[in-house]
Amino acid sequence: MRRIAVATIGVALVAAALAAWSVAAPTGSTGSAAATHALKKKKKLPSLPTQIKRRGRWIIGVKCDTPPFGYIDLKGHNAGYDVEIARWFSRFAFGRANRVSFTCVTTASRIPALTTGKIDLILATMTFTHARKQVVDFSTPYYVATGRMLVPKSSSLRLRGIGGKTITTTGGSIYDRWLNKCFKDAHPLLFQSPSLALQALKDGRADAEMFDDSFLLGAATSDPSVKLTPDKFLKLPWGIGILKGNVQLRNWVNARLRILKNRNQFLKILKNNVNPTLFDAFKNNVPAPKRTLKYPATEEAELACQ
Amino acid sequence: MPLADFDWSFIWANHSLLLDALVRTLKIAAIAIAGSFAIGLVLGAARAYRIPLASQFAAVYVEVIRNTPFLVQIFFIYFGLPQVGIRLPGFTVAWLSLVVWGGAFNIENFRAGFEAVPYRYREAGLALGFSRISTFFHVSLPIGGRIALPPSINTYISVLKNTAIVGPAAAYPELTHTASGLIESTGRTFEVFFAIGAIYLVIVWTLSGLIRLLESRLALPEEAR
Repeated sequence: MRRIAVATIGVALVAAALAAWSVAAPTGSTGSAAATHALKKKKKLPSLPTQIKRRGRWIIGVKCDTPPFGYIDLKGHNAGYDVEIARWFSRFAFGRANRVSFTCVTTASRIPALTTGKIDLILATMTFTHARKQVVDFSTPYYVATGRMLVPKSSSLRLRGIGGKTITTTGGSIYDRWLNKCFKDAHPLLFQSPSLALQALKDGRADAEMFDDSFLLGAATSDPSVKLTPDKFLKLPWGIGILKGNVQLRNWVNARLRILKNRNQFLKILKNNVNPTLFDAFKNNVPAPKRTLKYPATEEAELACQ
Repeated sequence: MPLADFDWSFIWANHSLLLDALVRTLKIAAIAIAGSFAIGLVLGAARAYRIPLASQFAAVYVEVIRNTPFLVQIFFIYFGLPQVGIRLPGFTVAWLSLVVWGGAFNIENFRAGFEAVPYRYREAGLALGFSRISTFFHVSLPIGGRIALPPSINTYISVLKNTAIVGPAAAYPELTHTASGLIESTGRTFEVFFAIGAIYLVIVWTLSGLIRLLESRLALPEEAR
């Protein structure tokens, strides 16, 4: 009996280790080609990695529940700011906007989807953090969000008063870590998506929801039972996630982002996706010919308490 | 290469976070296993002995739970009930949804157990003057309950593993929900999955070992192996 038990444990542990190893091992190319040198007379744009070129289409992870950045429209198609940037990459790489397959990801699943080779890029409202930078490479920023707080219409709660209150946000997000660091006496209630957190707020399970202005502004506009507090906190630049070490792909992405920035295309993409009444609130959040977004230099700067 | 930079110290640095979460997993699993046992026993008997009203209720209850995804059931309790004014706290939703789910499957286990008790034993009890209830407690339950125990092991193990679904869905910080947040904020997918995989393996194996021990202690003399 004991031998069987020991053997079972041994086999199970070996199987679990093998499964975990194969899950974590990257299958994509690890960027053998370096960027072309700037010394050439005519500056060539970085070329597309061969694995993607051979496939003939992108596989990009996007959000499917976060309007106006990644969501499913009424016709059942992927739509949003992030999705449109993905279509621009399709045009740049293959000349057509439909050479991209979208994979729905959540906050918790987007990094594993990239590191296991299921997607080429993460274009899913991913805020840059130094912790994430250890595991994925980031492109240059393509959007910057501000943290806001949503409360029921009748509430007078402000940021300085959240001690002892229940605050809802998504699990593992920067708000989750910021609450842990700066508001230890607040009670976090964590969900897989900001929409579920919003429902919890409306059900009275939480006193406030903390999330990006991008999501909360839309919620406040379309729902008269909630409102935003005037508090603004954290500067959250978003980046495109690229498999660590894939220098060629990162250079390709950054070069195309620079092209879009110089053409002021980001503002046009934003206009296509955002409710006209909210456009003014968002228009300074995107890269523009005269506005370059930057990442915070250190980990402390990232989560500065107010 | 993931194995090359596997950071064991990371697991140790977060061990108290994961252990607190494990305690919560065990808490809701314990309540749910006890609850599924009780529901399975009572309603399984109702089904087996065709007790009116209770039997029909149990039949519908089992069909509804078996034919819908567990995640949908949890969302219904957590987000659906508040729409009709019943707002249960996260901890309650966690163990309640597990009890409802496990109880349904356990009803079938106990029904089969009781129906497998040979009718002549009950006849003998009734002939000796035991009331129907007495016959149940002194004849059907000891035998039928033992017959129902091995298939129940699967149900209880599933209840324990299903805590991993309840946590993220009802925002209850058990082991998987906590681990998921840890992965997303640090990116250390491999280390965290390995750690919780090992923890689940140990606790599920311990649970089934304990039940098998109980089974051997309860075994009737003629069933000794």
